[in-house]
Amino acid sequence: MVKLHDPSSDGPNRPSDPPESDRQLFSARASTFFRFSLIGAILVIVGSGIAASAYFHSASRYGVGFAPAQPVPFSHRLHAGELKIDCRNCHAAVETSAFAGMPATETCQACHSQLLTDAPQLKPVMESSARKVPLEWNRVTRLPDHVYFDHSIHVNKGVGCTTCHGDVGHMDRLAQSEPLTMRWCLDCHRNPGPSLRPASSVFSATTPSTRLGPPPAELIRSYQIHVANLTDCSTCHH
Amino acid sequence: MESPHQPTAAPATPDFWRSLDERALTPEFHERLVREFPFVATLAPSELDRRHFVKLMGASIALAGMTGCVRRSVDKIVPYVVAPETAIPGRPDYYATAMTVEGFARGIVVDSHEGRPTKIEGNPDHPESLGATDAITQAAILSLYDPDRSRGPRSKAGTGDWAAFESEWAKHQGALLTAQGEGLALLIEPTSSPSLRRELQRILEHFPKARWYQHTPLAAYETGGVQADYDFAQADVILTIGSDCLYRHPAALRYSRAFAGRRRVENGRVRMNRFYALESTPTVTGTLADFRLPASPARMRVVLNAIALAIAHNPPSAGDLSPAEMNFVRALADDLRQHAPAVVCIAGAEEDADIQRWALALNAHSGAGGKTVRFLASQRSDSDRASAGDLTALGGAMRRGEVTRLFILGSNPVYTAPADLDFAGLLSKIAFSVHHGSHADETAALCTWHLPESHWLETWGDLRAYDGTATILQPLIERLFDTRSSLEILRLLTAPPGTQAYDMVHETWQHESSGSDFDVHWSRWLNAGVVDGSAAPAIAGPAVDGSFPVLTPPTTEASPVLILQPDATILDGRWANNAWLQELPKPLTQLVWDNAALVSPAFASRLGIASGDLLALSVGLQTLDAAAWIMPGQADDCITLSLGYGRTAAGSVGTGRGFDAYRLRTTEALWRRSGLQVRKIGGRYALVTTQQHFSMEGRDLVRVVPPDALSVPPPVANPTLYPAWKSSGYAWGMSIDLSTCLGCNACIVACQAENNIAVVGKDQVARGRQMHWIRVDTYFEGDPANPRVVHQPVPCMQCENAPCELVCPVGATTHSSEGLNDMVYNRCVGTRYCSNNCPYKVRRFNFFDLRPSPDALSILQQNPNVTVRERGVMEKCTYCVQRINAARITAEKEDRPIRDGEIKTACQQACPAEAIVFGNLADPESKVSRRKREPTNYLLLEDLNTRPRTTYLAKVRHPAGGTAS
Repeated sequence: MVKLHDPSSDGPNRPSDPPESDRQLFSARASTFFRFSLIGAILVIVGSGIAASAYFHSASRYGVGFAPAQPVPFSHRLHAGELKIDCRNCHAAVETSAFAGMPATETCQACHSQLLTDAPQLKPVMESSARKVPLEWNRVTRLPDHVYFDHSIHVNKGVGCTTCHGDVGHMDRLAQSEPLTMRWCLDCHRNPGPSLRPASSVFSATTPSTRLGPPPAELIRSYQIHVANLTDCSTCHH
Repeated sequence: MESPHQPTAAPATPDFWRSLDERALTPEFHERLVREFPFVATLAPSELDRRHFVKLMGASIALAGMTGCVRRSVDKIVPYVVAPETAIPGRPDYYATAMTVEGFARGIVVDSHEGRPTKIEGNPDHPESLGATDAITQAAILSLYDPDRSRGPRSKAGTGDWAAFESEWAKHQGALLTAQGEGLALLIEPTSSPSLRRELQRILEHFPKARWYQHTPLAAYETGGVQADYDFAQADVILTIGSDCLYRHPAALRYSRAFAGRRRVENGRVRMNRFYALESTPTVTGTLADFRLPASPARMRVVLNAIALAIAHNPPSAGDLSPAEMNFVRALADDLRQHAPAVVCIAGAEEDADIQRWALALNAHSGAGGKTVRFLASQRSDSDRASAGDLTALGGAMRRGEVTRLFILGSNPVYTAPADLDFAGLLSKIAFSVHHGSHADETAALCTWHLPESHWLETWGDLRAYDGTATILQPLIERLFDTRSSLEILRLLTAPPGTQAYDMVHETWQHESSGSDFDVHWSRWLNAGVVDGSAAPAIAGPAVDGSFPVLTPPTTEASPVLILQPDATILDGRWANNAWLQELPKPLTQLVWDNAALVSPAFASRLGIASGDLLALSVGLQTLDAAAWIMPGQADDCITLSLGYGRTAAGSVGTGRGFDAYRLRTTEALWRRSGLQVRKIGGRYALVTTQQHFSMEGRDLVRVVPPDALSVPPPVANPTLYPAWKSSGYAWGMSIDLSTCLGCNACIVACQAENNIAVVGKDQVARGRQMHWIRVDTYFEGDPANPRVVHQPVPCMQCENAPCELVCPVGATTHSSEGLNDMVYNRCVGTRYCSNNCPYKVRRFNFFDLRPSPDALSILQQNPNVTVRERGVMEKCTYCVQRINAARITAEKEDRPIRDGEIKTACQQACPAEAIVFGNLADPESKVSRRKREPTNYLLLEDLNTRPRTTYLAKVRHPAGGTAS
């Protein structure tokens, strides 16, 4: 920075001022360096802002891809995808309750008391059944406590399982597929039509490659969906 | 803009007033009015300069950023191993059972979420509930999760377990068998349980010389084995004599329902009864009276004698009666003559026996027997011939050394015994004494053994209601602690341990029912919550010929009389450890967490005392210091104190609060004691009341109309720049009928239980920080010596032009498409602007983190469908939006609209008088729309143009004219 002559500092007690040529403390190069560092600083600030924003809006920030290991390496790909066991066979409360329901050990045992009884992967199931101690699964899909989500109304009104849970029919280990943010919820609550399916394909375990069934407006009509209150705060928060 | 309902100038003394301070317009009251939250100013730290402020802010911003760095934890989902057949996870189950109300059954339905009971509702099929509940029934669920409940047997030596007790008892049992039970005494509260009575019978057969005593500190609802039952629906004239029969009575809910039917405006008409109340201390029931006369116990006798004469056309002589008394007597006598036999006269259970007989005589004289009054055999064991008497009889036997082994079941006589009995002293001399109760209370401390009692939601049992209807009690939850029920303890006396209460109850009813298919009946009874055809038949009443007993007034009229009464919320002290009931404002005084000595305004000015002054009360040999409370409408020359406070071992909530009225009680004078000496002792006591908080500046918030002019000024359409609210689909609204509201406060506790509302404690209530979403304001009108009273429940008005919504900087309170004023807790940042801008003062703020800790027992009670609010957020009535959403989901799944009456808010469901109606305003035929078309419909503060969805129906009451009261 250039130090300018300040006439007010001239006083009777001051020693004699240096000559005019020696008053430049910094060379011309210094100011170039300063300009570049200024630009650099701005770039760093803006860049880190962009990076932070990208991270905060990225899918992984909201847990997309979160796939904790489970006590039993249960494969949705095998059971729901290949063997085509209906979702409701294990998640039995999904049409009647807010909570979809998790299968009791006896549900697993309905088949596995006969099939693959010696498989090491199934040891925890056998132990749970024998010792009457429940299995402890790790939650994959989680909504915050102040959100009240009801499975039954969604599946009754044409929202498919895979719409929120992803392509479970192709997942060995279940992973979170959608960000489950309020914005993501609202995208559909504002305009539910495109996410709806005919009742026959709600429980399909794999994501359909194309949109199914009648046009969105017709589905909204036939399911009698009252869009106005879907965005009321109290629809989900109470 | 000129407002039609605002008083033009501040009147010298307001017509309606909410406290004596307001009526006198004292400077303190003005201060409270002007500074809405006077306590806030004192909280601002005075030493905080700018530099420190910036430092603190900097630190908090830096720390706030840290919270973003938490890694996601992994939650567990734990399914069943073997799923229960009918359970659907996430959906509540409902079970019918009953709770005991002073020994009688009240039918209830309990919500159970994944095996935890969370809420109690009335059983619509039960004749003594009719779907409604009172405040105590609503609060009872909290006592199940009381952390102070005793968790295991305890011997005086210190520790102990069931095996140790059983082996010790086995030794006594052998000795007792050879002595035929001589020296064995049982003390039990009077009960209506058939199984319990059968078991007692069994014990007395097993040990023929054993004695069974009964004790309750509360009054009996029978005389000589006969109960009177009243039909308020058919009564045109009602006279209550010191009776709170619509608030505290085993049949109060049924009576309230019937009474409300005669006060409700329907289609612009009302079939009004005429209600007279003669009482010494204001009761909830008495506030509903058209004509109320306060009279001290001595004056009451004079007035009753005069009424007896006046009915027989002998006008009372003016010298005996004051003008107010004269008018009351004349008007009542005329009405009684005109309307006989459609007359009901009911005397309070605490009144003297001759007054009870007087009431019976009036009913007989009017020919009401068999019409509005019928008689039933006593449903409780009070007059059971096998019983050896009451606590006084037991005290006598103990003093004579006739009792060597004593069992006390479900009773707390060390605390509740009259002072002159010295029960504690007698008990400590008993060699082997056993206390069985839910808490290690005052009695447990003096007994050789304390055995923990199972909660009635944890075990099997049976009870009969006031009308005789029996209910099988079924458990909702596995026993939380190592406890046993009283049935199991009684069986232990005669049989080896191990018998379950279920087998005993099953056995009793198998015995009772004659027909086949018992198991089919049994499941139907359990399902319905009532045993078919078990109601008691009417019997011939006591022989009363209709001639009135002449009541002799006591001679010592000069000194004031002490009146004892059960407390309005904690009764005889048994609910002292229930925080909901402690924080529930007591009707009329609105006191919380304490009792007080109620004095009349005239008495107070004679003694120069103010509310909160400590008084020394002494009567006979007993003395007690208690804080005074000036009670408008209290009769002169008597002081009323409620029982249940001053406990020394109630638990963490109830111990050491208020003043122990039992210390002034004697075996001879349980409820009324003359010869009281009152002295002011100079100290002050902090009594906390919700009365003056959130005052609404004297506008006409309650309206009263006479039955022959059923209309209020129609709502004024104020000009407005706001667009009219356009509703799509449902439009939720509520109507509250002031005419039928009893002021019983059941709605407050119902709301608290439903919506996870926190308890804040006495100190916080004193700062105006109570959390109740609905409050019941009490307004007094006229002369403080005998004011007329109106109760007004105030929930959120759900304004269409909601002032709170406009001022929220973060959009945390918004309007829903169906007209609800939504509150979004997770958006709220706690500016409290909304509360400042709310003209109805219905918003509540969490000044502290009031959530129960995750390991607290009470967390099991919480409703999983309502967010538990954290510190720093606003909350308020939501019209129970979780119930609306649940009903909407059910209806939409069935492709039908929500039916009228399908959604009941918690307050509406609890209300015994059906004063609250909720529903869809878009449907002109819904019950709420019909109510809002009544001519008495009005809006609260309508001139503000908030367009509230909650509206009121004016109170209908006969004008005071005709009596000078």
